[in-house]
Formats: sequence, C-alpha cells, structure tokens
Amino acid sequence: MIEIKNLSFAHGKNVVFEDFSTVIANNCATLLGGPNGSGKTTLLQLIGGVLKPDSGSIVINGHDISQLKTKEQAELRSIAPQRRIFELAFTVEEIFAIIKQKNRAAHATDVFEALDLYDLFPLKVTELSLGQQQRVSVALALIQSAEYYLLDEPFSAQDSGYTQKLLDLITLLSKTTGILVISHNTGHIAQYFDENIYLS
Amino acid sequence: MKKVALYSGFSALAIVLFGLSLRTGIVQLHTSFWQLLTHHTGTDATTVWQIRLPRALGAAIIGAGLGIAGSIAQGIFRNPLAEPTLIGLSSGATLGTIAVIASGASVYGSKTNAASAVLFAVITALLVQILAPNKGYGFLLTGIAISAILTAVAGLLVAVSQKPGIQSLSFWNFGSLTLLNNQTLKTIAPFIEVGIILSFFVSRRLDAYSLGESSSHYIGINPKRLRLLAIIAMAFLVGASVSAVGSIAFLGLLVPHIVRLLVGPAHRQILTFSAIIGATLLLLADLLARTLFQPHEIPLGLITSLIGAPALIILLRTQKGQWVAND
Repeated sequence: MIEIKNLSFAHGKNVVFEDFSTVIANNCATLLGGPNGSGKTTLLQLIGGVLKPDSGSIVINGHDISQLKTKEQAELRSIAPQRRIFELAFTVEEIFAIIKQKNRAAHATDVFEALDLYDLFPLKVTELSLGQQQRVSVALALIQSAEYYLLDEPFSAQDSGYTQKLLDLITLLSKTTGILVISHNTGHIAQYFDENIYLS
Repeated sequence: MKKVALYSGFSALAIVLFGLSLRTGIVQLHTSFWQLLTHHTGTDATTVWQIRLPRALGAAIIGAGLGIAGSIAQGIFRNPLAEPTLIGLSSGATLGTIAVIASGASVYGSKTNAASAVLFAVITALLVQILAPNKGYGFLLTGIAISAILTAVAGLLVAVSQKPGIQSLSFWNFGSLTLLNNQTLKTIAPFIEVGIILSFFVSRRLDAYSLGESSSHYIGINPKRLRLLAIIAMAFLVGASVSAVGSIAFLGLLVPHIVRLLVGPAHRQILTFSAIIGATLLLLADLLARTLFQPHEIPLGLITSLIGAPALIILLRTQKGQWVAND
C-alpha cells in the first residue's frame, strides 16, 4: 500500500496539494485522473522521490520514502515518466540492459512479448517513432523488479491496438503488483481499473 | 568484428608511435634498438631509457587519462560540449599546482603538487556546479567564467613568483611533456590509475544517466552522488596531468567525438576506446611537437589545437545520430 499522508506541496506560489491524503492499494490497478494542472504528474514525482513534499509524508509498504536510499526506493516502486530522454543512439536491447538482470522483474519477458518489443531490439532507440519510444519507455519501467508500477500517460502516443495491449498487460500485472496509471482522458479506459482517484 | 579490428588497429598504431617516440629526437642514436634492450649503459641507452621512455610512457598514460576524462565529462553533463577544460577542472588544477609551487609549500613534480592540483580541480568543479543556474548552457558558461578567473590568478602567481621550477605561463597554458622524467611519471601514475578505476566504476551508471536525471533516480541511481564521483574521477585524471605537463587543449573534446562515432554509446566501451585513442593522439602530437621544427620544440597545445580543432569540425560535419537533441 502506498499511503499519501497530509501532503502539501507548492511549485513556487502555485499550491498543488494542501493536506492531501489518499491510498494506492496493492494487487490492483488504479487510475489517476484529473484535468491539466491538477497535480497528477507532480504526485508521481513526489512518490518517485524527485520532488520533496513541503509537509506530510509518503509511505510505501510501511517505509517512509524520505528515509530510504535511492536504490531502496527503486526496489519498492518503478516509474515511467511522461517523457523520457533518448538522446544517445543505444539499441532498444541496450536500453533494456540498463536494468541489470538481478533487478529484473520475473514478468519481464511477458512485457516484451505483450508489447511486441522483441522486433524493436536491434533498432536504435533514437530512430524509433514517438509511439515506439513510448512503448520502450513504459516497458523499461515495467521490467524493473518492484512492488508498485506508476505510469504517467502511457497511452498518449499509442494507437488503439497498443492501447488495448497495454491495458491487458496492466490487468495481468495488477494481479501480483500495484499499478497506478495517470491519464487525463479516463472515460473509455476506466472499466479496466479497479480503483479511481480523481484530482481536481 | 568491426570493434575487434578497431581495437587492434588503433592499439597497433599506438605501439608504432610509441616505438617512433623512442627512436626519434634531436640526439641521433648510433646503437640499434635490439642492442639497447640489453645494454642499459652509454649515451644512447641514457637517451632512450632515461629521457624518451618516460616521456613516451607519460604521453600514453596522460593521453589515455585525458581521453577518458573527456568522455566522462560528456556523459555526466549529457552534453557534447562538456569538456574538463570548460567546466573548470583544468584551470582549477593549474591554479592548484602553481599555488603550491609559488607559496613554496612544494616543488614541481612532487606528490603534494599533484594532490593539490586534484583537490583544486574538485573544488573548482563543485563551485561551478553550485554557482551555475540550473538551466540551458548555464553551467558551461559559468565554467568558462570561473576558468577565466582562475587562469588569470594562476598567471598572476607565475608573473610575480620568484620560486624556481614555477615554469612559464606558456608551459601551463599550452602544455609540454619536456619535464616528464621517471620521477614525475612515478608521481602522477598512481593518481591517473585511481582516476581510471573510478571512471570505469561509474561507466555503467552513465548509460542509465543518459536517460535523464529523474529517469536515473527512478531506476535507483542517485544522480548527485554519480555526478560527484564522476567529478572526482575527472579531477584525478586532469589534475595529475596538469600538475606534470600543463593543460593540453582539445584532446578531451576531440577524443570522445571520435570514439562515439566508432564504437557507439555504451560508456564502458567508450572509456576503453577513449584511452586507446587518447594515448595514440598524444603520442602523435608529442612526436610532432618534438620533430617538426628540430631542434626547436614547439608547445604541445599548439599541435593539439592545430590538428584537433579542424579534426573536430570535420567530425561534427560528418557525424550523425549520436547526440540527437538536448532536452
């Protein structure tokens, strides 16, 4: 369980969260919706530890993340940011090799198969389309061994076919892990999720 | 296969240049090389084993170190412009080494001297980090500004110091291997070894770091610690070389660009290859500096600039796909 307790956070003068609390359950898929600027990505960055709360705490499976080392945080949660920078011409296979074998989730091969990634292995990541890069980025997060997977707008560059494949994968993985998906467009995918959090 | 050919090709070239460095110079050798291998006495033996060998070894080690430092700089700042000189490491090291000589605390070629250069390099690089605005080219520009200040202060110390062994401003700013002997080599080699080991230690994490700072944090890499380790590694490499031979222009910028073109983006390979190319280029540059205008020796930095800068321009015009875009 990820517990957000009495969280307050402001970007400069822009107050994003004030005494906000919620819970993200394990072994289920949660959809995090809300309009632009409602703080969805900010919440992800706070859970991810790249932003620090002004007050309040974030506790994952009983561990306050502010007390954890970077490596220990990565063993608890894995995050696919909205944009990932692919500026060096690694092959897709080399990109996945960034996650060492000992840090790989058991379901890594399921992820590669579900998203048709084996075909992309020999290609340079810099030469892929935006949608292909996004699939690589999401998969990179999903193959990391963790208790929770947090995906920021994973469908934004996907066609309906891959949106469906990714939704099926999320459903499969949510049986054994906790998954949180951010989407600003929640209507047609809400049925695939067990829980909903709406930020306004 | 291509990589094996590249490794062996450039290694062979380095060995040939190394041999040439031992053979050629102002003093003509009258003894054959094979005789010299078994006879360690006589003028020719002294010339080769006491003067040319440490110089050639030094060129290889320093070239390898500067090549690696350049590649680490580009990797950790995710910027094809980053170079130890631009981020303040070289000027910090120069001031560090000149300061201890000018104050009389230590002499040229001593361990204290090299350590001071390394320490000043680390401090300068951290200062640039702290002062730089956290956006765009802020840190490179801050690095250039800080470097200008430190170079000026170092120049001032050189101008007013009466201490023997302070060397000329041209020595520090353009670099020269003339003072490399067995003693200086023994002093700097351990520093460069530490720098190389530390560089390979961070190399794998630099691959992940190329995906961005938050991305690497999510994967479990502490970006601040990684940057500190990389800066320390570069400071050992650059600081030790500067304390012995001054700052050598363009090597740290040119080597990674050649290497990235040849072996792709994985940092472990980039570092290995940077060492080989760096050693090759510095051996070549020093050979030219010693022989082009015999009996005069020209400052090494002139050669590396005259060859390195045009080579870089040609490379940049033909290079494709390695650095796609900056975020």
